[in-house]
Amino acid sequence: MNRTNQLTKIHLSGKPYIIYKSQNGFDLYTDFSKKIILNNKNIKSFLTKKNKKQSTNTDLFIGFFGYELLNNLIDVKVPKQKNFNFPKGIFYKPEKKIKLSNKLNYDSKNFECGNFKININRKNYTKIFNRFKKKIKSGETYQIKICTKYKTKSKINPLDFFSRLSDTNLAPEAFMIKDNNYSIISCSPETLIIKKGGDISTKPIAGTVKKTKQLNKIKALNYFRKNLKETKEHNMIVDMERNDLSRICKVGSVKLSKQKIVEEYKDLFHYVSLITGKLKKNINNFEIIKSMMPGGSVIGCPKINTLNLLNNQEKENRNIYTGSFGYIKFNGDMRFNIIIRSILNFKNISEISVASGVVVDSNANHEFNENFLKAKALIDLFK
Amino acid sequence: MIYVIDHNDSFTHNVVHQFALFDKVDCDNYDKVSENKIKQASTIIFSPGPGNPRNYPITSKIYKKYKGKKRIIGICLGFQHILFCEGGKIVEQKKIYHGFQSKVKVTTNKSLFKKGKIFKVGRYHSLKLKEPFKSNNFEITMRCLNSKVAMAFENKKEKIYGFQFHPESFLTINGNLLIKKILSA
Repeated sequence: MNRTNQLTKIHLSGKPYIIYKSQNGFDLYTDFSKKIILNNKNIKSFLTKKNKKQSTNTDLFIGFFGYELLNNLIDVKVPKQKNFNFPKGIFYKPEKKIKLSNKLNYDSKNFECGNFKININRKNYTKIFNRFKKKIKSGETYQIKICTKYKTKSKINPLDFFSRLSDTNLAPEAFMIKDNNYSIISCSPETLIIKKGGDISTKPIAGTVKKTKQLNKIKALNYFRKNLKETKEHNMIVDMERNDLSRICKVGSVKLSKQKIVEEYKDLFHYVSLITGKLKKNINNFEIIKSMMPGGSVIGCPKINTLNLLNNQEKENRNIYTGSFGYIKFNGDMRFNIIIRSILNFKNISEISVASGVVVDSNANHEFNENFLKAKALIDLFK
Repeated sequence: MIYVIDHNDSFTHNVVHQFALFDKVDCDNYDKVSENKIKQASTIIFSPGPGNPRNYPITSKIYKKYKGKKRIIGICLGFQHILFCEGGKIVEQKKIYHGFQSKVKVTTNKSLFKKGKIFKVGRYHSLKLKEPFKSNNFEITMRCLNSKVAMAFENKKEKIYGFQFHPESFLTINGNLLIKKILSA
Protein backbone atom coordinates (compact mmCIF):
# COMPACT_ATOMS: atom_id res chain seq x y z
CA MET A 1 0.00 0.00 0.00
CA ASN A 2 1.52 3.33 -0.92
CA ARG A 3 1.85 6.18 1.55
CA THR A 4 -0.86 8.37 0.12
CA ASN A 5 -3.36 5.60 0.37
CA GLN A 6 -2.31 5.14 3.95
CA LEU A 7 -3.11 8.81 4.57
CA THR A 8 -6.54 8.48 2.93
CA LYS A 9 -7.21 5.39 4.97
CA ILE A 10 -6.33 7.08 8.26
CA HIS A 11 -8.42 10.07 7.29
CA LEU A 12 -11.44 7.94 6.42
CA SER A 13 -11.11 5.91 9.62
CA GLY A 14 -12.17 9.08 11.47
CA LYS A 15 -9.46 8.89 14.12
CA PRO A 16 -7.60 12.06 15.12
CA TYR A 17 -4.23 12.71 13.50
CA ILE A 18 -1.64 15.45 13.05
CA ILE A 19 0.54 16.28 10.04
CA TYR A 20 3.71 18.39 10.49
CA LYS A 21 6.20 19.53 7.86
CA SER A 22 9.50 17.68 8.00
CA GLN A 23 12.66 18.39 6.07
CA ASN A 24 11.79 16.29 3.02
CA GLY A 25 8.04 15.91 3.29
CA PHE A 26 5.56 15.59 6.12
CA ASP A 27 5.32 13.45 9.25
CA LEU A 28 1.95 12.09 10.23
CA TYR A 29 1.26 11.28 13.89
CA THR A 30 -1.74 9.24 15.01
CA ASP A 31 -3.03 6.54 17.40
CA PHE A 32 -3.03 8.97 20.30
CA SER A 33 -2.78 7.21 23.67
CA LYS A 34 -3.05 10.44 25.69
CA LYS A 35 -4.67 13.80 25.16
CA ILE A 36 -3.78 16.55 27.62
CA ILE A 37 -5.94 19.67 27.72
CA LEU A 38 -3.77 22.41 29.12
CA ASN A 39 -4.73 25.16 31.56
CA ASN A 40 -2.90 27.58 33.85
CA LYS A 41 -2.75 24.96 36.58
CA ASN A 42 -1.35 21.93 34.77
CA ILE A 43 0.99 23.56 32.26
CA LYS A 44 3.98 23.70 34.59
CA SER A 45 3.77 20.06 35.57
CA PHE A 46 3.25 19.12 31.92
CA LEU A 47 6.45 20.92 30.95
CA THR A 48 8.62 19.77 33.83
CA LYS A 49 7.49 16.15 34.13
CA LYS A 50 10.02 13.58 32.97
CA ASN A 51 8.55 10.94 30.66
CA LYS A 52 9.88 7.42 30.43
CA LYS A 53 11.77 6.86 27.21
CA GLN A 54 10.75 3.91 25.08
CA SER A 55 13.33 4.84 22.44
CA THR A 56 10.82 4.90 19.64
CA ASN A 57 10.12 7.68 17.15
CA THR A 58 6.92 8.47 19.00
CA ASP A 59 8.60 9.41 22.30
CA LEU A 60 7.07 12.86 22.20
CA PHE A 61 4.08 15.09 22.89
CA ILE A 62 2.78 17.08 19.94
CA GLY A 63 0.22 19.88 20.07
CA PHE A 64 -0.23 23.58 20.66
CA PHE A 65 -0.28 26.39 23.21
CA GLY A 66 -2.96 29.04 22.63
CA TYR A 67 -2.26 32.76 22.96
CA GLU A 68 -4.04 33.30 26.28
CA LEU A 69 -2.23 30.42 27.99
CA LEU A 70 1.15 31.85 26.88
CA ASN A 71 0.19 35.30 28.22
CA ASN A 72 -0.82 33.88 31.58
CA LEU A 73 2.44 31.95 31.71
CA ILE A 74 4.37 35.24 31.85
CA ASP A 75 1.83 36.85 34.23
CA VAL A 76 0.10 38.93 31.57
CA LYS A 77 -3.67 39.00 32.04
CA VAL A 78 -6.17 38.76 29.22
CA PRO A 79 -9.43 40.56 30.15
CA LYS A 80 -12.79 38.95 29.55
CA GLN A 81 -13.25 38.69 25.79
CA LYS A 82 -15.76 37.25 23.36
CA ASN A 83 -14.74 33.62 22.87
CA PHE A 84 -16.22 30.34 21.80
CA ASN A 85 -14.60 28.29 24.56
CA PHE A 86 -11.93 26.75 22.43
CA PRO A 87 -9.35 24.86 24.57
CA LYS A 88 -6.33 26.93 25.67
CA GLY A 89 -3.86 24.27 24.65
CA ILE A 90 -3.85 20.57 23.76
CA PHE A 91 -1.04 18.02 23.50
CA TYR A 92 -1.21 14.43 22.24
CA LYS A 93 0.96 11.36 22.76
CA PRO A 94 1.11 9.52 19.44
CA GLU A 95 1.85 5.81 19.13
CA LYS A 96 2.33 5.82 15.38
CA LYS A 97 4.39 7.98 13.03
CA ILE A 98 4.31 7.78 9.23
CA LYS A 99 6.50 9.64 6.76
CA LEU A 100 4.70 11.33 3.86
CA SER A 101 6.06 13.03 0.77
CA ASN A 102 5.47 16.69 -0.07
CA LYS A 103 2.64 15.73 -2.43
CA LEU A 104 -0.33 14.73 -0.32
CA ASN A 105 -2.47 14.03 -3.39
CA TYR A 106 -5.76 14.05 -1.63
CA ASP A 107 -8.34 14.76 -4.25
CA SER A 108 -11.78 15.32 -2.88
CA LYS A 109 -12.85 18.94 -2.99
CA ASN A 110 -16.03 19.24 -1.06
CA PHE A 111 -17.14 21.91 1.42
CA GLU A 112 -19.86 24.33 2.43
CA CYS A 113 -19.31 27.90 3.58
CA GLY A 114 -20.77 31.39 3.77
CA ASN A 115 -19.07 34.71 3.17
CA PHE A 116 -16.16 35.73 5.35
CA LYS A 117 -16.86 38.70 7.62
CA ILE A 118 -14.14 40.87 9.13
CA ASN A 119 -14.38 41.83 12.81
CA ILE A 120 -12.82 45.30 12.47
CA ASN A 121 -13.68 47.47 9.49
CA ARG A 122 -11.32 49.96 7.89
CA LYS A 123 -12.66 52.90 9.89
CA ASN A 124 -12.28 51.18 13.25
CA TYR A 125 -8.91 49.78 12.25
CA THR A 126 -7.70 53.30 11.54
CA LYS A 127 -8.92 54.45 14.96
CA ILE A 128 -7.01 51.69 16.73
CA PHE A 129 -4.01 52.33 14.52
CA ASN A 130 -3.90 56.01 15.44
CA ARG A 131 -4.30 55.25 19.12
CA PHE A 132 -1.31 52.89 18.98
CA LYS A 133 0.72 55.37 17.01
CA LYS A 134 0.33 57.83 19.89
CA LYS A 135 1.56 55.12 22.24
CA ILE A 136 4.66 54.78 20.07
CA LYS A 137 5.27 58.52 20.19
CA SER A 138 5.07 58.48 23.97
CA GLY A 139 7.44 55.52 24.14
CA GLU A 140 5.01 52.96 25.59
CA THR A 141 5.62 50.57 22.71
CA TYR A 142 8.08 50.61 19.80
CA GLN A 143 6.16 48.25 17.52
CA ILE A 144 2.71 46.68 17.87
CA LYS A 145 0.76 44.24 15.70
CA ILE A 146 -2.98 44.81 15.28
CA CYS A 147 -4.93 41.59 14.79
CA THR A 148 -8.02 41.33 12.59
CA LYS A 149 -10.23 38.28 12.22
CA TYR A 150 -12.20 36.84 9.31
CA LYS A 151 -14.97 34.36 10.09
CA THR A 152 -17.62 32.35 8.31
CA LYS A 153 -19.96 29.45 8.93
CA SER A 154 -18.52 26.39 7.25
CA LYS A 155 -18.37 22.64 6.93
CA ILE A 156 -15.02 21.57 5.56
CA ASN A 157 -12.78 18.56 5.15
CA PRO A 158 -9.45 19.66 6.67
CA LEU A 159 -7.36 17.22 4.67
CA ASP A 160 -8.78 18.57 1.44
CA PHE A 161 -7.89 22.11 2.53
CA PHE A 162 -4.43 21.22 3.82
CA SER A 163 -3.61 19.26 0.70
CA ARG A 164 -4.61 22.13 -1.59
CA LEU A 165 -2.79 24.66 0.62
CA SER A 166 0.41 22.61 0.56
CA ASP A 167 0.23 22.36 -3.22
CA THR A 168 0.38 26.13 -3.57
CA ASN A 169 2.37 27.05 -0.48
CA LEU A 170 4.78 24.51 0.97
CA ALA A 171 5.64 26.36 4.19
CA PRO A 172 8.47 25.13 6.44
CA GLU A 173 6.28 25.09 9.56
CA ALA A 174 3.04 23.89 7.98
CA PHE A 175 0.83 21.64 10.07
CA MET A 176 -2.64 20.26 10.36
CA ILE A 177 -4.56 18.88 13.33
CA LYS A 178 -7.71 16.87 12.85
CA ASP A 179 -9.52 15.94 16.03
CA ASN A 180 -13.14 14.92 16.52
CA ASN A 181 -14.47 18.36 17.40
CA TYR A 182 -12.01 20.75 15.72
CA SER A 183 -9.32 21.08 13.09
CA ILE A 184 -6.44 23.46 12.34
CA ILE A 185 -4.90 24.03 8.92
CA SER A 186 -1.75 26.11 8.79
CA CYS A 187 0.97 27.20 6.40
CA SER A 188 3.08 28.92 9.04
CA PRO A 189 6.50 29.94 7.73
CA GLU A 190 8.03 30.83 11.08
CA THR A 191 10.18 28.70 13.39
CA LEU A 192 10.22 29.91 16.98
CA ILE A 193 12.30 27.27 18.78
CA ILE A 194 14.59 24.51 17.68
CA LYS A 195 16.20 22.89 20.70
CA LYS A 196 18.61 19.98 20.39
CA GLY A 197 20.56 19.01 23.48
CA GLY A 198 22.15 22.20 24.77
CA ASP A 199 21.71 24.11 21.51
CA ILE A 200 18.80 26.42 20.82
CA SER A 201 17.92 28.64 17.90
CA THR A 202 15.13 30.90 16.70
CA LYS A 203 14.46 32.23 13.22
CA PRO A 204 12.31 35.35 13.23
CA ILE A 205 10.71 36.66 10.06
CA ALA A 206 10.19 40.40 9.78
CA GLY A 207 9.59 41.61 6.26
CA THR A 208 7.64 40.02 3.42
CA VAL A 209 7.49 40.95 -0.24
CA LYS A 210 5.46 39.39 -3.03
CA LYS A 211 7.35 37.53 -5.73
CA THR A 212 6.92 38.85 -9.26
CA LYS A 213 8.59 38.14 -12.60
CA GLN A 214 10.78 41.20 -12.13
CA LEU A 215 11.61 40.60 -8.49
CA ASN A 216 14.22 37.87 -8.01
CA LYS A 217 16.04 36.97 -4.78
CA ILE A 218 18.83 39.52 -5.22
CA LYS A 219 16.40 42.30 -6.00
CA ALA A 220 14.31 41.27 -3.00
CA LEU A 221 17.36 41.66 -0.76
CA ASN A 222 17.96 45.11 -2.23
CA TYR A 223 14.34 46.00 -1.66
CA PHE A 224 14.57 45.06 2.03
CA ARG A 225 17.91 46.80 2.54
CA LYS A 226 16.68 50.04 1.03
CA ASN A 227 13.34 49.94 2.82
CA LEU A 228 14.05 51.75 6.08
CA LYS A 229 10.76 50.75 7.70
CA GLU A 230 11.28 47.02 7.07
CA THR A 231 14.89 47.29 8.21
CA LYS A 232 14.01 49.01 11.48
CA GLU A 233 11.21 46.54 12.22
CA HIS A 234 13.56 43.68 11.56
CA ASN A 235 16.39 45.12 13.72
CA MET A 236 14.02 45.49 16.63
CA ILE A 237 12.92 41.86 16.40
CA VAL A 238 16.54 40.68 16.21
CA ASP A 239 17.48 42.51 19.42
CA MET A 240 14.31 41.26 21.13
CA GLU A 241 14.99 37.63 20.19
CA ARG A 242 18.62 37.98 21.30
CA ASN A 243 17.18 39.18 24.61
CA ASP A 244 14.77 36.27 24.98
CA LEU A 245 17.55 33.77 24.27
CA SER A 246 19.93 35.58 26.63
CA ARG A 247 17.57 34.86 29.54
CA ILE A 248 18.22 31.13 29.18
CA CYS A 249 21.61 30.95 27.43
CA LYS A 250 25.20 31.09 28.61
CA VAL A 251 26.87 34.49 28.62
CA GLY A 252 28.60 35.16 25.34
CA SER A 253 26.91 32.26 23.53
CA VAL A 254 24.04 34.15 21.86
CA LYS A 255 25.06 34.78 18.26
CA LEU A 256 23.43 36.30 15.24
CA SER A 257 24.33 33.39 12.95
CA LYS A 258 22.51 34.64 9.87
CA GLN A 259 21.86 38.34 9.68
CA LYS A 260 19.05 39.62 7.49
CA ILE A 261 18.99 37.10 4.67
CA VAL A 262 16.23 36.51 2.12
CA GLU A 263 14.41 33.19 1.95
CA GLU A 264 12.46 32.31 -1.14
CA TYR A 265 9.01 30.69 -1.12
CA LYS A 266 6.58 29.88 -3.85
CA ASP A 267 4.85 33.27 -3.92
CA LEU A 268 6.95 35.48 -1.70
CA PHE A 269 10.27 36.39 -0.17
CA HIS A 270 10.83 36.66 3.59
CA TYR A 271 13.46 38.73 5.40
CA VAL A 272 14.89 36.36 7.99
CA SER A 273 17.58 36.18 10.68
CA LEU A 274 18.86 33.18 12.60
CA ILE A 275 19.87 33.59 16.24
CA THR A 276 21.51 30.75 18.14
CA GLY A 277 22.68 30.13 21.70
CA LYS A 278 23.91 27.52 24.15
CA LEU A 279 21.56 26.83 27.04
CA LYS A 280 22.67 27.43 30.62
CA LYS A 281 22.95 24.31 32.72
CA ASN A 282 19.77 23.22 34.52
CA ILE A 283 17.41 25.26 32.36
CA ASN A 284 14.22 23.25 31.84
CA ASN A 285 11.66 23.40 29.03
CA PHE A 286 9.21 25.33 31.20
CA GLU A 287 11.73 28.16 31.52
CA ILE A 288 12.55 28.04 27.81
CA ILE A 289 8.88 28.28 26.80
CA LYS A 290 8.33 31.12 29.27
CA SER A 291 11.20 33.16 27.95
CA MET A 292 10.51 32.61 24.21
CA MET A 293 6.70 32.60 24.01
CA PRO A 294 4.58 34.18 22.75
CA GLY A 295 7.02 34.76 19.88
CA GLY A 296 7.95 38.43 19.78
CA SER A 297 7.95 38.95 16.02
CA VAL A 298 4.15 38.62 15.87
CA ILE A 299 3.43 40.69 18.99
CA GLY A 300 5.66 43.75 18.91
CA CYS A 301 8.17 45.22 21.28
CA PRO A 302 8.77 45.47 24.23
CA LYS A 303 6.81 42.31 24.84
CA ILE A 304 5.04 42.79 28.19
CA ASN A 305 3.82 46.34 27.70
CA THR A 306 2.81 45.63 24.11
CA LEU A 307 0.84 42.53 25.12
CA ASN A 308 -1.00 44.60 27.73
CA LEU A 309 -1.85 47.27 25.16
CA LEU A 310 -3.11 44.60 22.72
CA ASN A 311 -5.13 42.71 25.31
CA ASN A 312 -6.90 45.83 26.53
CA GLN A 313 -7.77 46.69 22.94
CA GLU A 314 -8.91 43.35 21.54
CA LYS A 315 -12.54 42.36 22.03
CA GLU A 316 -12.21 38.77 20.81
CA ASN A 317 -10.01 35.96 22.05
CA ARG A 318 -7.11 35.17 19.72
CA ASN A 319 -7.51 31.42 20.41
CA ILE A 320 -4.62 29.70 18.60
CA TYR A 321 -3.43 32.78 16.72
CA THR A 322 0.15 33.79 17.70
CA GLY A 323 0.32 30.76 19.96
CA SER A 324 2.75 27.96 19.14
CA PHE A 325 2.48 24.50 17.66
CA GLY A 326 5.17 21.84 17.85
CA TYR A 327 6.54 18.92 19.80
CA ILE A 328 8.51 18.11 22.93
CA LYS A 329 10.51 14.91 22.80
CA PHE A 330 11.03 12.78 25.89
CA ASN A 331 14.77 13.51 25.68
CA GLY A 332 13.98 17.22 26.07
CA ASP A 333 14.47 18.30 22.46
CA MET A 334 11.81 20.62 21.06
CA ARG A 335 10.58 22.21 17.88
CA PHE A 336 7.94 24.95 17.90
CA ASN A 337 6.55 27.37 15.35
CA ILE A 338 4.43 30.48 15.63
CA ILE A 339 0.81 29.88 14.70
CA ILE A 340 0.08 32.36 11.93
CA ARG A 341 -1.54 31.91 8.49
CA SER A 342 -3.91 29.37 9.94
CA ILE A 343 -7.55 28.36 9.81
CA LEU A 344 -9.23 27.23 13.00
CA ASN A 345 -12.40 25.18 12.45
CA PHE A 346 -14.56 24.76 15.53
CA LYS A 347 -18.34 24.54 16.06
CA ASN A 348 -18.91 24.88 12.29
CA ILE A 349 -17.10 28.18 12.13
CA SER A 350 -13.87 28.82 10.24
CA GLU A 351 -11.70 31.57 11.68
CA ILE A 352 -8.65 33.22 10.10
CA SER A 353 -6.62 35.80 12.05
CA VAL A 354 -3.97 38.08 10.61
CA ALA A 355 -1.88 40.96 11.90
CA SER A 356 0.56 43.51 10.68
CA GLY A 357 2.79 45.94 12.42
CA VAL A 358 2.41 49.51 13.48
CA VAL A 359 5.73 51.32 13.75
CA VAL A 360 6.18 55.03 13.76
CA ASP A 361 6.28 55.38 9.98
CA SER A 362 3.59 52.90 8.93
CA ASN A 363 0.33 53.85 7.30
CA ALA A 364 -3.11 52.63 8.40
CA ASN A 365 -4.49 52.04 4.92
CA HIS A 366 -1.43 50.14 3.80
CA GLU A 367 -1.40 47.89 6.87
CA PHE A 368 -5.15 47.22 6.62
CA ASN A 369 -4.66 46.11 3.02
CA GLU A 370 -1.66 44.00 3.95
CA ASN A 371 -3.78 42.23 6.56
CA PHE A 372 -6.33 41.42 3.89
CA LEU A 373 -3.63 40.12 1.53
CA LYS A 374 -2.35 37.78 4.22
CA ALA A 375 -5.88 36.45 4.85
CA LYS A 376 -6.76 36.18 1.17
CA ALA A 377 -4.40 33.25 0.48
CA LEU A 378 -6.41 31.26 3.02
CA ILE A 379 -9.84 32.65 2.14
CA ASP A 380 -9.21 31.63 -1.49
CA LEU A 381 -9.23 27.99 -0.39
CA PHE A 382 -12.96 28.41 0.19
CA LYS A 383 -13.56 28.95 -3.53
CA MET B 1 28.67 42.60 41.52
CA ILE B 2 26.65 44.56 38.99
CA TYR B 3 22.93 44.85 39.71
CA VAL B 4 20.70 45.45 36.69
CA ILE B 5 17.29 46.92 37.44
CA ASP B 6 14.92 45.90 34.66
CA HIS B 7 11.91 47.97 33.57
CA ASN B 8 9.88 45.21 31.90
CA ASP B 9 11.95 45.60 28.77
CA SER B 10 12.72 43.26 25.89
CA PHE B 11 16.38 44.28 25.64
CA THR B 12 17.49 44.04 29.28
CA HIS B 13 18.97 40.58 29.01
CA ASN B 14 21.22 41.75 26.21
CA VAL B 15 22.47 44.33 28.72
CA VAL B 16 22.93 41.59 31.31
CA HIS B 17 25.00 39.48 28.90
CA GLN B 18 27.12 42.46 27.91
CA PHE B 19 27.98 43.44 31.49
CA ALA B 20 28.50 39.79 32.43
CA LEU B 21 31.58 39.85 30.22
CA PHE B 22 33.21 42.03 32.90
CA ASP B 23 31.74 41.05 36.28
CA LYS B 24 29.10 38.97 38.02
CA VAL B 25 25.64 40.33 37.16
CA ASP B 26 22.30 39.98 38.92
CA CYS B 27 19.02 41.26 37.47
CA ASP B 28 15.54 41.89 38.88
CA ASN B 29 12.53 43.81 37.66
CA TYR B 30 12.14 47.26 39.26
CA ASP B 31 9.11 46.17 41.28
CA LYS B 32 11.02 43.20 42.74
CA VAL B 33 14.27 44.91 43.64
CA SER B 34 16.18 43.50 46.61
CA GLU B 35 17.69 46.07 48.95
CA ASN B 36 20.27 43.47 49.97
CA LYS B 37 21.48 42.99 46.41
CA ILE B 38 21.74 46.76 45.90
CA LYS B 39 23.91 46.98 49.01
CA GLN B 40 26.20 44.25 47.69
CA ALA B 41 26.48 45.79 44.23
CA SER B 42 29.37 48.01 43.20
CA THR B 43 27.46 49.20 40.14
CA ILE B 44 23.74 49.73 39.56
CA ILE B 45 22.33 49.72 36.03
CA PHE B 46 18.97 51.24 35.08
CA SER B 47 17.74 49.25 32.09
CA PRO B 48 15.93 50.45 28.99
CA GLY B 49 12.14 50.18 29.03
CA PRO B 50 8.84 51.53 27.77
CA GLY B 51 7.25 54.80 28.87
CA ASN B 52 8.50 57.84 30.70
CA PRO B 53 10.84 58.07 33.74
CA ARG B 54 7.98 59.58 35.79
CA ASN B 55 6.19 56.19 35.54
CA TYR B 56 8.90 54.59 37.69
CA PRO B 57 9.10 56.33 41.10
CA ILE B 58 10.79 53.29 42.68
CA THR B 59 13.76 53.75 40.37
CA SER B 60 13.95 57.46 41.25
CA LYS B 61 14.14 56.57 44.93
CA ILE B 62 16.98 54.14 44.32
CA TYR B 63 18.85 56.74 42.32
CA LYS B 64 18.57 59.41 44.98
CA LYS B 65 19.57 57.02 47.74
CA TYR B 66 22.69 55.66 46.05
CA LYS B 67 23.87 58.62 43.99
CA GLY B 68 27.54 59.24 44.74
CA LYS B 69 27.77 56.04 46.80
CA LYS B 70 27.85 53.54 43.92
CA ARG B 71 28.60 53.68 40.23
CA ILE B 72 25.29 54.18 38.40
CA ILE B 73 24.77 53.61 34.68
CA GLY B 74 21.56 54.32 32.74
CA ILE B 75 20.70 53.00 29.31
CA CYS B 76 17.95 54.54 27.13
CA LEU B 77 15.06 54.93 29.61
CA GLY B 78 17.73 54.62 32.32
CA PHE B 79 19.68 57.51 30.76
CA GLN B 80 16.51 59.59 30.72
CA HIS B 81 15.72 58.51 34.25
CA ILE B 82 18.95 59.83 35.72
CA LEU B 83 18.58 63.13 33.86
CA PHE B 84 14.95 63.35 35.01
CA CYS B 85 16.07 62.93 38.62
CA GLU B 86 18.63 65.68 38.00
CA GLY B 87 15.86 68.08 37.04
CA GLY B 88 15.98 67.49 33.28
CA LYS B 89 12.82 67.51 31.17
CA ILE B 90 12.15 64.40 29.06
CA VAL B 91 10.03 65.22 26.01
CA GLU B 92 8.69 63.63 22.82
CA GLN B 93 10.80 64.16 19.72
CA LYS B 94 9.51 64.82 16.23
CA LYS B 95 11.56 62.18 14.50
CA ILE B 96 11.51 58.85 16.29
CA TYR B 97 14.31 56.31 16.21
CA HIS B 98 13.38 52.67 16.77
CA GLY B 99 15.75 50.02 15.48
CA PHE B 100 17.78 52.72 13.82
CA GLN B 101 21.53 52.78 13.41
CA SER B 102 23.05 56.23 13.55
CA LYS B 103 26.34 57.97 14.15
CA VAL B 104 27.13 59.73 17.41
CA LYS B 105 30.10 61.97 18.07
CA VAL B 106 32.08 62.73 21.23
CA THR B 107 31.62 66.49 21.53
CA THR B 108 33.77 67.43 24.51
CA ASN B 109 37.29 66.85 25.81
CA LYS B 110 35.86 66.23 29.29
CA SER B 111 34.82 62.72 28.22
CA LEU B 112 36.45 59.34 28.86
CA PHE B 113 36.33 59.01 25.08
CA LYS B 114 38.40 61.03 22.66
CA LYS B 115 36.80 64.25 21.42
CA GLY B 116 35.70 63.95 17.80
CA LYS B 117 35.46 60.16 17.87
CA ILE B 118 32.45 58.77 16.01
CA PHE B 119 30.54 55.62 17.03
CA LYS B 120 27.90 53.71 15.06
CA VAL B 121 25.11 52.91 17.49
CA GLY B 122 21.63 51.34 17.71
CA ARG B 123 18.76 53.53 18.92
CA TYR B 124 15.31 52.76 20.34
CA HIS B 125 13.89 55.94 21.79
CA SER B 126 10.71 57.97 21.40
CA LEU B 127 11.69 60.57 24.00
CA LYS B 128 14.72 62.80 24.45
CA LEU B 129 16.33 65.23 26.86
CA LYS B 130 15.06 68.79 26.49
CA GLU B 131 17.91 71.26 26.38
CA PRO B 132 19.42 73.43 27.70
CA PHE B 133 20.09 71.12 30.63
CA LYS B 134 22.37 71.94 33.52
CA SER B 135 23.25 69.98 36.61
CA ASN B 136 26.34 69.94 38.82
CA ASN B 137 29.14 67.71 37.51
CA PHE B 138 27.02 66.42 34.61
CA GLU B 139 28.41 66.80 31.13
CA ILE B 140 26.70 65.86 27.84
CA THR B 141 29.52 64.00 26.10
CA MET B 142 28.04 62.57 22.89
CA ARG B 143 25.50 63.83 20.39
CA CYS B 144 23.76 62.49 17.30
CA LEU B 145 25.79 63.61 14.33
CA ASN B 146 22.67 64.73 12.42
CA SER B 147 20.11 65.92 14.97
CA LYS B 148 22.56 66.94 17.77
CA VAL B 149 20.26 65.22 20.30
CA ALA B 150 22.08 64.29 23.56
CA MET B 151 23.31 60.70 23.32
CA ALA B 152 25.56 60.26 26.38
CA PHE B 153 26.45 61.99 29.63
CA GLU B 154 29.20 61.53 32.17
CA ASN B 155 29.51 62.59 35.76
CA LYS B 156 33.06 61.47 36.44
CA LYS B 157 33.16 62.84 39.96
CA GLU B 158 30.26 60.71 41.18
CA LYS B 159 30.71 57.94 38.61
CA ILE B 160 27.33 58.30 36.96
CA TYR B 161 27.07 57.52 33.26
CA GLY B 162 24.30 57.24 30.70
CA PHE B 163 23.71 56.31 27.09
CA GLN B 164 20.58 57.27 25.17
CA PHE B 165 21.52 54.63 22.59
CA HIS B 166 21.89 50.89 23.25
CA PRO B 167 25.50 49.71 23.66
CA GLU B 168 24.16 46.12 23.84
CA SER B 169 22.32 46.23 20.48
CA PHE B 170 23.73 44.31 17.53
CA LEU B 171 23.46 47.65 15.73
CA THR B 172 26.14 49.19 17.97
CA ILE B 173 29.69 48.60 16.77
CA ASN B 174 32.22 48.07 19.57
CA GLY B 175 29.60 48.39 22.31
CA ASN B 176 31.67 46.20 24.64
CA LEU B 177 34.55 48.70 24.50
CA LEU B 178 32.26 51.53 25.62
CA ILE B 179 31.15 49.50 28.63
CA LYS B 180 34.66 48.36 29.48
CA LYS B 181 35.84 51.94 29.63
CA ILE B 182 33.14 53.25 31.95
CA LEU B 183 33.45 50.20 34.22
CA SER B 184 37.18 50.73 34.62
CA ALA B 185 36.93 54.53 35.05
